[in-house]
Amino acid sequence: MKIAVCVKQVPSTTAVIRVAPEGLDLSGVELVLSPYDEYALEEGLKAKDANAGSTLTVITVGPDGAAKVLEHAFALGADEGIHVKADGIDARGAAACAAALLKAAPADLIFCGRQAIDDDSWLFPGTLGELLDLPHVTAAVTFTLSGAEAVCKRRIEGGEETLVVQLPAVVSADKGLNEPRSPTLKGRLAAKKKQAVVKTPADLGLDEAALAPALAVQSYAPPPAKSPGKMVGGNAAEAAKELVRLLREEAKVI
Amino acid sequence: MPEILIVAEHRNGVLKKTAGELLAAASTLAAGGKVLAAVLGPGAAACAGELYAWGADAVLAADSPALANYSSLRWTRVLAGAIAAKKPSAVLLSVSSLSRDLAGRLAARTGGSLASDCTGLSAAGGATTLVRPILAGRASITASPAASPLIATVRPNVFTPQKAATPSTASVETLAVEENPADLRVLVKEVATVASTRPELAEAAIVVSGGRSLGSADAFKIVYDLADALGAAPGASRAAVDAGYAPHSMQVGQTGKTVAPALYFAIGISGAIQHLAGMRTSKYIVAINSDANAPIFKLADYGIVGDLFQVVPALTEEFKKLLKA
Repeated sequence: MKIAVCVKQVPSTTAVIRVAPEGLDLSGVELVLSPYDEYALEEGLKAKDANAGSTLTVITVGPDGAAKVLEHAFALGADEGIHVKADGIDARGAAACAAALLKAAPADLIFCGRQAIDDDSWLFPGTLGELLDLPHVTAAVTFTLSGAEAVCKRRIEGGEETLVVQLPAVVSADKGLNEPRSPTLKGRLAAKKKQAVVKTPADLGLDEAALAPALAVQSYAPPPAKSPGKMVGGNAAEAAKELVRLLREEAKVI
Repeated sequence: MPEILIVAEHRNGVLKKTAGELLAAASTLAAGGKVLAAVLGPGAAACAGELYAWGADAVLAADSPALANYSSLRWTRVLAGAIAAKKPSAVLLSVSSLSRDLAGRLAARTGGSLASDCTGLSAAGGATTLVRPILAGRASITASPAASPLIATVRPNVFTPQKAATPSTASVETLAVEENPADLRVLVKEVATVASTRPELAEAAIVVSGGRSLGSADAFKIVYDLADALGAAPGASRAAVDAGYAPHSMQVGQTGKTVAPALYFAIGISGAIQHLAGMRTSKYIVAINSDANAPIFKLADYGIVGDLFQVVPALTEEFKKLLKA
């Protein structure tokens, strides 16, 4: 079976990012594999392990340094890595790139993270499914392959739902889907011999219109500054009483 | 005049409160144009009265047994049909497990622009402007959709439902459901929900969350007691969930739920970036922690430094007294 995993390099979850109206300053910020993509990659590796003769292709779209996430995927056992070199394109453009690759070399199973944690757009999985005319599942917490279909569970308000999806399909991963493995020394050494295939959007026949971002950004802003809050003192009973009064009379939220 | 379409969610004919919020958001964008409400699935038509009461000018219902089980492909086909017929300038959905699955595909099908988790929507001179967080709330963008329609998912509790002064008396339009077998390539087979008298976390007006400082699952009782006294939804930090004190369904933060209630209690929560990502847009934040240096106090409107196991039960008693009166 052919398995593809789409991954993205993003600023780490704890990175301090300077925000100016005209843009983000990411210089010196640690870049990592987007956490949900780790679950996607692990699920791809599990499917490869469970189905002899499978190949795992990992795809990323981004600027020069973005290919670093492919080295990690190679160390874990990916067979092939494709880096579509492009700067400043959003999830829609990335989905167009991945779709072009996957139309040329179709996969039975395509995994990705439910969202990349930089733009948090939630756009990629459904858009990729639509571009490939394949069904998709968003934010799976379980994935069980059963012949030509897969059974997935996802969290919903107040519980969970079970879906059946026919392959080929796009499945996006949520936290809890699996426990991502770490690279072994042997894997790291083997990875050094593997080389990512580098392509440009033009190689894939994509023009500017296909890569146009979904949103025209006018400005960026940091979170609104908060003035220091009010500390409520006294013993537990006194503090509780005073807090209730403030919430009632000052904030008027109770 | 631009028309705005909202997608109202319901469960067996019981409308979710977010539908009213979407109608309020839509009326700010419509600028005098019509606000249309699409509602899908068995029981859809029963929601019409309430949708009109909250300001819908027209209700489009697909009250078909073919929609009894959710399929993103079938939902997309029905909604894309409505969008092609009505040509709204924007389609609004509330952030939910359903819209997370549906919106990306709907945007691709209709050629529209997706903006998720909008916390602001406005229209001026025919142009739509939106505000949405990125980087888990470490920044936000003000943007306009590059293509029409805008497909926006809107955070719960951002817009306040407004009763229509004179509700529309339009008859309910029936949305066609084309039963294409290829759409059943993905289909929900089973829904398992736990009956709860508590409000849904992502939509609750008040959220009471506990952190690792509580120390055990049993100790979370003080969180549940305070939540129940206030009719609030209980939540938890990732540290508390990872420690097994609370289920993942209660997790607030980057890898859990995002909430924006009117009032948020952070009890024994230090305030890691990943937690702040899920609750920083709450209107009022109360922090209760034994550590006066906990970062959560920087974000809190009101803070109490003290023993959780004394302060929280005292608070519960005070609220009970107040709300009984």
